[in-house]
Amino acid sequence: MELAVATVVNWLIISSMYILTALGFAFLFNMLRILNFAHGAIYMIGGYICYIFIIGMGFNNWVALVLATLIVAAFGVFLERFCFRPFVGDFNRTVMICIAIVVILQTTVNIMVGEKTMAIPPFAEGVLRAGPISVSYERIVTFAIGAALLVIILWFVNRTKWGQQMQAISQHRIGAALQGINVYRISSIAFALGCALAAVAGCLMGAYLRLSPFMGDLMLVKVLIIVMLAGAGSLGGILITGLVLGALNAALPVLIPGAASDAVIITVIIVLLLIRPMGFFGYEVEL
Amino acid sequence: MSDTNLIPSEPEKSQRKWIKPALLAGLVVIIALLPLLLSSPYFLHIMILTFIYIVAAVSLRTITISGQFPLAHGAFMGIGAYLAGMASRFLNWSPWLTIPSAALVTMGIGMLIGYPFARLRTLYYAMGSLFFGIGVVYIIQAGGAWTGGYSGFTGIQPMFGGSKMAYYYFFLGLALVSIIALYRFEFSRIGINLKAIAQSYLVASSVGINEGWYRILAVGVGCFFAGLAGAGYAHYNMVLSPGSFNFMATLWLVMYVLIGGIGSIAGPIIGTFILILIPEFFRDLKMYSPYISAAILIIIVYLMPQGLVSLPKLVRSWFTGSRKGERVTHAD
Repeated sequence: MELAVATVVNWLIISSMYILTALGFAFLFNMLRILNFAHGAIYMIGGYICYIFIIGMGFNNWVALVLATLIVAAFGVFLERFCFRPFVGDFNRTVMICIAIVVILQTTVNIMVGEKTMAIPPFAEGVLRAGPISVSYERIVTFAIGAALLVIILWFVNRTKWGQQMQAISQHRIGAALQGINVYRISSIAFALGCALAAVAGCLMGAYLRLSPFMGDLMLVKVLIIVMLAGAGSLGGILITGLVLGALNAALPVLIPGAASDAVIITVIIVLLLIRPMGFFGYEVEL
Repeated sequence: MSDTNLIPSEPEKSQRKWIKPALLAGLVVIIALLPLLLSSPYFLHIMILTFIYIVAAVSLRTITISGQFPLAHGAFMGIGAYLAGMASRFLNWSPWLTIPSAALVTMGIGMLIGYPFARLRTLYYAMGSLFFGIGVVYIIQAGGAWTGGYSGFTGIQPMFGGSKMAYYYFFLGLALVSIIALYRFEFSRIGINLKAIAQSYLVASSVGINEGWYRILAVGVGCFFAGLAGAGYAHYNMVLSPGSFNFMATLWLVMYVLIGGIGSIAGPIIGTFILILIPEFFRDLKMYSPYISAAILIIIVYLMPQGLVSLPKLVRSWFTGSRKGERVTHAD
């Protein structure tokens, strides 16, 4: 019984972490039809910049989080202008430039950090005990921020003018431009937001787990799974698919120990993708 | 009178025709004679790895002529490698038996997997193959005593004892045979059908080309050579670890193809050479060497989108100002 309760709590926490990290990627995929393979690296760099602010300059955790997010958002504008805008519609070149960005960022961090393991100091101390369960406040904070950000992004996309302009661009770029939407400016804003979301996720996960130059790689796979299962055209769908992946990742290792659980999880994902390639909540897109 | 220069006369044309194959043959001869000049084991090792990856890269590019972009090629190399290794260690087969059989089984697995994946279009096929590649690595890691799990798989029989010279010539021959085979495949009737499917699957189906069958065939051929490369690697390296066939390996193979140029067979060959040899020149930089690869990527992406094979064309158009073959970008 206790194991079941612990697994459920685990499930919610893991799902919230995955959804939080996937938000930025899903945002860019839905709004700009761009598969930002550099998402993992940006997530990683956000965490490290936050760490520099906290440890190197002595800022408060939350202030450092905001500062890191702003810096990464600015970096996102730079990336959009020079690395993604020239290659709109060309999947090959987008993949190549993403790999270049990832390699440069990872090498830079690897050189500066080396073999040291580091983690961001926790955002919230202490443990909450309610009956048989004990959850650290850190996890609750991550969960809360993830949920809040999901709601905020959904509101932004559906209710604000900018969000609606992004939807227009995602449906028909030329048509949106004909309506007077400044496609370039909206793309910059979208990219800044996407990278900012990645940075927030990186900071929170850097505090919860540890920081490593390659932490983005593993996360990118999970993010891809969530976004592909949800499909293009539905930002809220990642809530469901994030919960599904979280359920698989929380429940299966209990039943099947070891690396075999990973293999089973991927098999389930592949079968789901074969059943409905365009995602369960989206429509088919041509990149 | 001036326009007689535009049409080369008959002797001129036949003279020009065999320049290209002659140059290629000369290049192969030079490569074959290289070990006699630089026989350091390290140089031989790098060239052997290059030959192995050339086979994998060219076969990956062959799959792309059918319009599919597989992101699981590293995993298929791994399947071939582990199959050959397991046959060598558990069944005691000779390398000359394990390598072809591993390649054939890999082709079978590729076609089996290709069957449900064949109905996925571009992006979704790429994602599906990506997840499949990751799954293969997990399966290898979960293999326990069969595959050695995380710590690797040892005990594979070597092919030739002693120096690497024999391996060098074996893999050079393997690469040449593979390149010629894939070249003939691409320009055969089957290859033309594949290109038709890539250009427009609707029109191709209307002419009677069975799209699904040909896509599976393309994946099968590509996986055969991937398994071949992997099996060869297993018998050369004699130690296998799942980490060498993961998504990063696939990504590097994709980069070899994209940097060299996806439009021709020479592309992946050039790309493999460049991306393996140039970082080796800068080996002294150790930690900084990935910067070199990234720099190469960036230069190619911005300046030579068609890949390095387009370099002669670019230089020619730069000098003469001609815009022949320039990519026309449409409004959407």
